[in-house]
Amino acid sequence: MSRNLVEFARRGDATGAQTALEVLKQAVVDHREVTDEDRRRAAQISGLPEATVYGVSTFYDDLLAPVGRRHVRVCTGTACFAANGGAHADELRAGLGLEFGEVSDDGEVSLSETVCLGFCHSSPAVRSGDLIDAGDGAVARVLDDAATAAAEPAWRSLLPEPVLTKPGDWSGLRRALTELGAEALLTEVEEATVRGRGGAGFPAGTKWRFARNASGAPKYIVVNGDEGDPGSYIDKYLMEQNPVRLLEGVVLAGFAVGATRGFILTRSEYPRSKPVLERAIAQAHNDGWLGTNIQGSGFDFDIEVIEGAGSYVVGEETALLACLQGLRGTVSARPPFPAERGVHGLPTVVNNVETLANIPFIAAHGAAAYRALSPDSETNGSKLVCFNERFNAPTVVEVPFGITMRELCEEVAGGLRGGAGIKALQIGGPLGGILPASKLDTRFDFDDLAAEGCMVGHGSIVAFDERTNMRELAVHLLRFGAHESCGKCFPCRIGLRRAHDMFAAAEPVSRSRFEQLLDALELGSLCAHGSGMPAPLRSLLDHFPAELGLID
Amino acid sequence: MRVTIDGSAVEVEPGTTILEAARQADTWIPTLCFDERLAPFGACRVCMVGVEGNPAPVPACTTPCRDGMNVDTQDPASRRVATAVVELVLSELPEPPAAHTELAQVAARLEVTDQPRWPGATHPVRQELDHPYLAFRHELCISCGRCVRACDEIQGAFALTAVGRGFEANVVAGMDSGFRESTCVSCGACADTCPTDAISERRLIEFGDVYATISGAGA
Ligand SMILES: Cc1cc2nc3c(=O)[nH]c(=O)nc-3n(C[C@H](O)[C@H](O)[C@H](O)COP(=O)(O)O)c2cc1C
Ligand code: SF4
Ligand code: SF4
Ligand code: FES
Ligand code: FES
Repeated sequence: MSRNLVEFARRGDATGAQTALEVLKQAVVDHREVTDEDRRRAAQISGLPEATVYGVSTFYDDLLAPVGRRHVRVCTGTACFAANGGAHADELRAGLGLEFGEVSDDGEVSLSETVCLGFCHSSPAVRSGDLIDAGDGAVARVLDDAATAAAEPAWRSLLPEPVLTKPGDWSGLRRALTELGAEALLTEVEEATVRGRGGAGFPAGTKWRFARNASGAPKYIVVNGDEGDPGSYIDKYLMEQNPVRLLEGVVLAGFAVGATRGFILTRSEYPRSKPVLERAIAQAHNDGWLGTNIQGSGFDFDIEVIEGAGSYVVGEETALLACLQGLRGTVSARPPFPAERGVHGLPTVVNNVETLANIPFIAAHGAAAYRALSPDSETNGSKLVCFNERFNAPTVVEVPFGITMRELCEEVAGGLRGGAGIKALQIGGPLGGILPASKLDTRFDFDDLAAEGCMVGHGSIVAFDERTNMRELAVHLLRFGAHESCGKCFPCRIGLRRAHDMFAAAEPVSRSRFEQLLDALELGSLCAHGSGMPAPLRSLLDHFPAELGLID
Repeated sequence: MRVTIDGSAVEVEPGTTILEAARQADTWIPTLCFDERLAPFGACRVCMVGVEGNPAPVPACTTPCRDGMNVDTQDPASRRVATAVVELVLSELPEPPAAHTELAQVAARLEVTDQPRWPGATHPVRQELDHPYLAFRHELCISCGRCVRACDEIQGAFALTAVGRGFEANVVAGMDSGFRESTCVSCGACADTCPTDAISERRLIEFGDVYATISGAGA
């Protein structure tokens, strides 16, 4: 990230100015497109150069094309693909007579695609204005301009005493402020070995210690609420149904690290998250859990919520920091790590929503109680998983690590609809490998899944039934990968496009050439988007070669 | 600190990158997005090297040396990546880069001359030739970011930006209004660093139409 641009962003923040991205987003709300006039204004307000702002306006999906008075966004994510192979998107295109990115001549309606609206339990999902409709009849209702808000199933817990699905009550923060103190809290979190739930599995305590020891002030906590994995709606549930637990986790992180300010980055695909969190923040201020001198402890901490603008890779931590400062959401090489140079060039902890939602329990009950939550596993704590619409009982469920994939699919989620057989599962997001039905006895745990080329990732479980054509799945995954590539590093920027085109063409694919391409992506990419996209494709090569139309 | 590059030991200051250490030892590592006048960027991935004890190659330009590090610039996996990346980059250009460009030289040195293994779409031809000193051939841009960083870090003019994402990524001046309508001060730092001549200084031979442009009659 350019040091100069970060310095401009810091100065803008110090004067309370809106970021360039905020101004551009508001322009779309106000007059349904971003004009050069808006870009100039965004530059003036934010203090960024005009060219830089122009670059920002060409990065985020939400800013790219003018929209109509009613903007329709159809989900082309993996759960919605698994539901019907993408038929709903074709029906909407035909029904509205629009291609993605187009507005009707009278300016009334526009259409775009979006990847995952967090209604993967009721696919296919379509957003019409601010209403998200999903499931049977959603397409017809949206075409009639009669969309209704889809229902969201209640979450549940398999634990004798729910942890993550239990409403937050600030008891962990109370204990940390009155009994533990910052150092003892940090030690508890280190001893609890909370592996990051955002995908990489890095222990939170280690990261916090690093940031606590880093020189520079103020320090920041950034909450990664960019849950972009198609098929995931776990962080959506946490942010929207249990915001107090998340806020408590953020304040605890701030207390342990010595930070004074937190940011939560939410996705624009989840329009409810930001208002729900902002209401919870206002309530916490009223109740003395945020602000200055929290509960008389002398500790000051505040949290603000920033919404993204449509980009998967912005979930990568350095891209997230760029987005938060209103810049293009491209990845930066590490070092420097965010713990040394994050927001405004200052020490910053970036943690996933669910990771932080674990912390109040540790603060209240200690590391030993936390380690006991998953008795059959080396991994500590519990995990939220979520299931796609193919299952009979799809929702978010809190589970212990170590449970088998078969128990999860057949007992917890009730098997597939209509008694269909599972062909394969994609676990943990688009960068996770694909587990064939023959391996359902694999345990849901970091090492067990890694041994099968899969991962816990963020915990989504997307089932494909026997109708899924694996070559079409390969095209689907690679289209997503190429579309979302941030464009920074060469292997991913060019390689994912080439990989997509190889499978999208109606020709056999040379397996050896394709594997050479995967090798360059895996070893050469700057971030886990490019290096991770090969994982599900390797699984398809291993388990379903006959369906892929390969030649040597 | 002491590091070993292809068997020869070098003394380096803490904070030195592997690439800097290799240059100190006169060892060549291919690079495309690196310019020693600019902060390292880590985009092109042709500078990958092997490091003893590391399961996978690392980028030399952004990886700091550790004391006792043992670096192998000829590591087969690293060379595989570098070669593949250069093939990919050549495959996105509608025409091969001119022989004097850094890209052509790196390709030659890595012996990438055959037909690319992954052909396909190339960048659409789009040329801006209305500036008296600078020519912009967008189709030759490989998004190495050197021009944008030169304009930011050396000149402080902030006239350039990366645009788009994925395969459609490119660079533009101003609000895609061309150099003339941007904050460009015609210093030429971008053209000087560009490894493909996507941005280049217009040559003397073109002076006829430059004159026409200045006097408002041409372009
Ligand atoms: C392409 C890509 C997308 C990512 N998306 C997310 C995301 O949506 N949410 C998230 O928490 N982490 C995401 N990550 C991981 C983050 O980079 C980072 O590791 C994480 O936020 C750290 O938090 P944790 O340690 O609590 O897991 C993504 C990484 C990559 C490479
Ligand atoms: S791997 Fe892809 S998403 Fe990640 S930095 Fe490279 S281009 Fe960007
Ligand atoms: S114009 Fe040249 S220097 Fe600038 S990004 Fe493109 S190839 Fe690199
Ligand atoms: S709502 Fe379509 S994949 Fe999540
Ligand atoms: S020179 Fe190292 S990544 Fe480009």
